[in-house]
Amino acid sequence: MIKLINTLEHALRSPTKKVVAGIWSTEEEWLAAAKKAKQAGFDKIEGISPYPTHEIDEALQIPRSPIPFVTFVAGLAGCAFGTWFTWWTSAVDWPINIGGKPMWSLPAFIPVIFECTILFAALASVGAMLFLGGLPKVDPPVIHPDLTSHKFALFVPEDDKKYDVAKIEALFKELGAEEVKQAEF
Amino acid sequence: MAHANTNLQAPGKLNVTKNFKVMYYAASFVGLIAFVFTLIMNQERAWHAFLVGFFYFTSLAMGGFFFTSVHHLTAAGWNVNIRRISEAFTNFLPLALIAGVVLLAGIYYLFEWLHPEAVQTDYLLQHKRSYLNQPFFIIRFLGCLVLWVLLAKKMVSNSVKQDETGDHKLTLKNVPLSVASIFVFAITYSMFSVDTLMSLAPHWFSTIFGIYTFAGLFQSTIAAMILMILYIKKNGQLSGYVTEDHLHDLGKYLFGFTVFWAYIAYSQYMLIWYANIPEETFFFIDRTKGPWVYVSISLILFKFIVPFFALLPRWAKRTPAHLAAVSVLILIMQFVDIFWLVYPSYNAESITFGVPEVLIFFGFMGLFLFAVSRFLQKNNLVPVKDPRIEESLHHHVVY
Repeated sequence: MIKLINTLEHALRSPTKKVVAGIWSTEEEWLAAAKKAKQAGFDKIEGISPYPTHEIDEALQIPRSPIPFVTFVAGLAGCAFGTWFTWWTSAVDWPINIGGKPMWSLPAFIPVIFECTILFAALASVGAMLFLGGLPKVDPPVIHPDLTSHKFALFVPEDDKKYDVAKIEALFKELGAEEVKQAEF
Repeated sequence: MAHANTNLQAPGKLNVTKNFKVMYYAASFVGLIAFVFTLIMNQERAWHAFLVGFFYFTSLAMGGFFFTSVHHLTAAGWNVNIRRISEAFTNFLPLALIAGVVLLAGIYYLFEWLHPEAVQTDYLLQHKRSYLNQPFFIIRFLGCLVLWVLLAKKMVSNSVKQDETGDHKLTLKNVPLSVASIFVFAITYSMFSVDTLMSLAPHWFSTIFGIYTFAGLFQSTIAAMILMILYIKKNGQLSGYVTEDHLHDLGKYLFGFTVFWAYIAYSQYMLIWYANIPEETFFFIDRTKGPWVYVSISLILFKFIVPFFALLPRWAKRTPAHLAAVSVLILIMQFVDIFWLVYPSYNAESITFGVPEVLIFFGFMGLFLFAVSRFLQKNNLVPVKDPRIEESLHHHVVY
């Protein structure tokens, strides 16, 4: 049993990367640093903040999430499924005469079709959100414990095309990081 | 992110271009001529067209009323910079009251239940006489309009007064007033819809009718507000005050209430279709016969499906030209919707639509634009001393 849990945990534990991280203690400094660091040409630079700061999307030029498209396509699929399913159940597989209305009466089935659309779209969105966020993550590495309460970080992972530990450390220091460290994420 | 408002110019009052002024005066005048002329030729036709225009623009004015009060009620900050537009819409209400008084002259041509010979031979109409009778109708009809004029006047004058005094208490005063306004709006607007539109087919009834007309009201009000804002912005005013983010939120409203309209329209249809009671179904049977079936289909297509997909992407709500095109489509379809509610009750065989209908509608449009721009010429385009103006200036839509 313990072995099984260990295997599961190992499977859920995503591979970590080496990163160089800088820590800032105010949002303004961190955002200004993010803008300048992005200009230096890192393509995989990331930021961490203790609360949502939407300006970071702009500063790091993070592209829009593809989740809306997943929602849209799944919604269309749900709509198509609902249409087909109500037709198949009510007109083909088990036709029942209800109030003398046609076997496949669209007005009666629109609620079902609508609910299928919503169900597919919602489940696919949650699924896409988990997948794109690399969740669930078991026991993820911690860059700095204060990042969930009052500090802000920028970090560059090792697969960035401009990854160079010494240069990044120098840059973060120049941009006013109060602490620069090598970590895993 | 406190910046951007330091070197903002005062919003000032609306500078109406000469063309715009000529346009609304001409439209009002032509509409009036067309109405008088049609009245001489064919009384019924004139009053039917009058009713459509009257209901359409009274609804837009009440949409402004509802928009203003619902955001006072929720202590919303984002809409402060566009509130004057919705307040300007309510400036049509006094004109709507006058038009309503004029309409009373034509009710005999509009309502079958006012014809004694029709009531005498009709058990159902006799049964409904305690509600559908002339004195009670006039009391309800004028009562609604007068109440709306008074409430709107009070609410808007508080806001206008604040531009001078900067007294924050005026904002607080509008909260209880809005509570009353929302209740009054819900009850009186449904009653107004039932009286003026539903009773055109006095045998028919739909308990959801008030919500149906409300859905169209809000959808078209948002569309009209978007167009008005884009027009003002195009003339170089409101820049810095009303941004892409405000348009984005109005676009979301437009999208949301497009879906809401479809939801209510479908609910009304589905229940009547399912129950299959003759007193209810004839309403839709009339509207799916002959040429009317195309009008009904056009409503589903252009009042729901096309705007739905056209407003779905994020960029659609942040692109003024696109948003304007969708708004125009929705305003046209709102006309089709009210036309579709009114006309088949008189003639389900064919569609009466021609120059008089268009010109009388334009006449009301001219009056409406006259009232709206008069308000904006007299008052600041933005409530400059509203305590929540900072919130609106920094309004930022993330998704």
